[in-house]
Amino acid sequence: MQPLFQIRDVSLQFGGLRALNGFSMEVAQGSIHALIGPNGAGKSSVFNCISRFYTPSGGDIVFDGHSLLREPAHRISAIGIARTFQNIELLRRLTVLENILIGMTQRINAYFPFAPGARRNAAERNAVRDADALLERLELASYRNVPAEDLDFGHQKLVDLARALASRPRMLLLDEPAAGLRNREIATIDALLVDLARRQGITVVLVEHVMQLVMAVADRITVLNFGEKIAEGAPERIRADPKVIEAYLGTAGDA
Amino acid sequence: MYGSPSYARLAPLLALVVIGIVLPPLVPQYFLSLGNTLMMYAILAVGLDLLLGWAGQFAFAHIAFYGVGVYGTVLLQSKLGIPFIPGVLIAAALAGLIAFLIAVAAIRLHSVYLALATFAFAESAQWVFNSWEGLTGGADGLRIAPPSVLGWTTGTDARAFPVIAIILALVIGATMYLTRSRLGRSLCAVRDSEHAAAVSGIDVFRTRIWAFVISGTYAGVAGGTFALFQSFVNPEAFGFSQIVLVLSMVVVGGLGTLPGPLIGAVLLGLLPEIMRTAMRGLFVWQELVYGLILILSMMFMPRGIWGLIAARGGRSK
Amino acid sequence: MLISLLQAIASGVVTGCAYALVALSLVMIYKSTDVINFGGGEMVMIGGYLAMFALLAIGLPYAGAFVFAAVVAFMVGAAFDRVVLDRMLGRALPGQSVLVAMVIATVGLSYVLKGLVRVVPYTEEVRRLAPLFAGDPVFLGPIILQRQDIAIVVIAVLLMRAWWAFFNFTLLGKALRATSQNPRAAALIGIPVRAMRMTIWGIAAIFAAMAGILLGPKLLMTPDMGSVVILAFAAAIVGGFHNLPGCILGGVVLGVVQNLVGLYISSRAIVLTPFVVIMLVLVLRPQGLFGGAVVTKKV
Repeated sequence: MQPLFQIRDVSLQFGGLRALNGFSMEVAQGSIHALIGPNGAGKSSVFNCISRFYTPSGGDIVFDGHSLLREPAHRISAIGIARTFQNIELLRRLTVLENILIGMTQRINAYFPFAPGARRNAAERNAVRDADALLERLELASYRNVPAEDLDFGHQKLVDLARALASRPRMLLLDEPAAGLRNREIATIDALLVDLARRQGITVVLVEHVMQLVMAVADRITVLNFGEKIAEGAPERIRADPKVIEAYLGTAGDA
Repeated sequence: MYGSPSYARLAPLLALVVIGIVLPPLVPQYFLSLGNTLMMYAILAVGLDLLLGWAGQFAFAHIAFYGVGVYGTVLLQSKLGIPFIPGVLIAAALAGLIAFLIAVAAIRLHSVYLALATFAFAESAQWVFNSWEGLTGGADGLRIAPPSVLGWTTGTDARAFPVIAIILALVIGATMYLTRSRLGRSLCAVRDSEHAAAVSGIDVFRTRIWAFVISGTYAGVAGGTFALFQSFVNPEAFGFSQIVLVLSMVVVGGLGTLPGPLIGAVLLGLLPEIMRTAMRGLFVWQELVYGLILILSMMFMPRGIWGLIAARGGRSK
Repeated sequence: MLISLLQAIASGVVTGCAYALVALSLVMIYKSTDVINFGGGEMVMIGGYLAMFALLAIGLPYAGAFVFAAVVAFMVGAAFDRVVLDRMLGRALPGQSVLVAMVIATVGLSYVLKGLVRVVPYTEEVRRLAPLFAGDPVFLGPIILQRQDIAIVVIAVLLMRAWWAFFNFTLLGKALRATSQNPRAAALIGIPVRAMRMTIWGIAAIFAAMAGILLGPKLLMTPDMGSVVILAFAAAIVGGFHNLPGCILGGVVLGVVQNLVGLYISSRAIVLTPFVVIMLVLVLRPQGLFGGAVVTKKV
């Protein structure tokens, strides 16, 4: 079966610095795929290529048969890929609800502000109703009208995630969802990921340093070091792979 | 909260129009003149706030678009005989078009760089107003013949007042629709995080360009209202101090809110009048007072007066 | 023809050296605090007036006037940071940016300084600062330079040399440099970042003020003479705004270009030069003319 998502031989360069070197990876529909590696290995660069913030110097990135490299950044969401950010990129001054509505931008059609009231109002009402349902599900409902910048760190991460989910993605890119969270909060994320992948069929690609989370949820793991793939496989195999151990120990890793 | 504003929220605009029509025979000409000035500044400030406060684009070219609006309206009338309403619409569209070109040229610039590039544009525009003597009269200025709005000749403060009140009401109403729309929300998203906006499906460049165009158009409309109650214009009206004045109105009033720039326009618009009339001996201190107001308000209310009021009232906006 | 070209270039280099001092002042502040200092021009202006005050009212010799202006300018810059900006940063919520508010505060500073100068004596009438060295002009081949011009170049170069040595060879200078490159890391290794930032503001004010004294005899002294700052902004933009040596070169380039515009295009267009330079450089080559990559934000 054709995988849902493929990165084919992607290279990325900043001036003389090679961030990714012939990197390839395949993600199966409905799986949880973890991307790990020491700091600076190029994990976030992979995400930024997928989000079209960076343009690779070679290779291709294909989602469900479409090459993403032909699309501008703002079309990626409509194609079905959503993401969160490592250093939370919140819409700080907007309320939690407004953050979710931003995530739904593709579904609210009226671009022009002076469109006749009735149709626009209906679209907005539907969006708000869906957003409220999502907030309920993530237990954020009580913060609905609070500006995002007033929330604590854990809730901000949750809002970032909720904004990503609001676009009803087929594939979700999570950049270090557990970083900086307490154990109890990590358990919540853990349960949420499994629910997203197993019950809702959303494919998840996960960059994460918290190994406890990666080993618990991932179906498959790709290990990146110095912009190259050094190992790939099921969690048990990766755990025992000498190259992976060396990469982490050799850089006084975070594992 | 989003969608069309309710009729209750639009009611103050109706009140503004009624006041505009009823007031002129009742109050002295001086207050009407002051009122006209303040309403014009309000339009300018609301337009700048859309770009600066809502879309987070640190741009200083606003006063140049305002100049295009003034000269456009006046010259279309005097040289081509185009009446006020189509004249101001064409002039505002021209201001919007120039804003579009600026936005496209400067689309990759952010923060300091955007501020300096747009500031340089504003100063260059003033130079053009000064140097294009055949059109603008240069430093000697240009006389403005009283425009006629649907047969109603303005030109005096009393006759201009109702027209400007109606224009201001329309501008505020349009802003209410705009800021409560998807585009309005997209402006805020681009301000708070271009990355989060982009991955949420917002076309960041297009949204930023819209912000420039809309803001420039507002400035053009403000320029048109200038022609309604002033009889003379020279390029000094478009200098650095004017840029700073309008910027201060927005920032002191409250960035990214609708009441903020309105409050700021009234307070800072009144300040020179108060210093000139009530505190005559203090006039030389004007710049000092003005600078202190800017510094102190930034220190103690970085979100402006309306930000303070809203925080006290426990509201987010 | 060739002679007037050479003359234009030579006097461009002279004024360019003074612009470079102001550009250094702006870039120093920008690098360490991200703030563009719209009060920079007024720091130039008070430099000139402080020297005039020292010469005329106190009766100090010129050297004393330099020291007096430097000390007062340092206090003004440092005090602005400590009293205004430091508090604004202190009040900000974590992660909240007060950058716009800080920039507006520098606009406030420019008005305060201008307003203060307007109400003190010596400012009602337009004056010219006495030249540093009186005497006949000097001939360098066909080029004529005033003694003041030579003083400008020599003093500007000495100041830049001193500043370079200070930043590279003294402990305080190294701490300042670390602070401006990475405040968070500097704080981690125990550098008192707030005091460093205040010092940078003070030093930046000195540089601007020195430019004011040097330009004072060439320009008319008015409270509005701070508008020369736009040339320094253009110089900094040409240099890339992050790049201190670049902005020195940028200052000289601006001085020369300005004179060439006056010579070959029109004297009316001289005032337009910095604005056109700013727009052209930013639109065509935003990273500046002298190398350096565009800094992109990491996500």
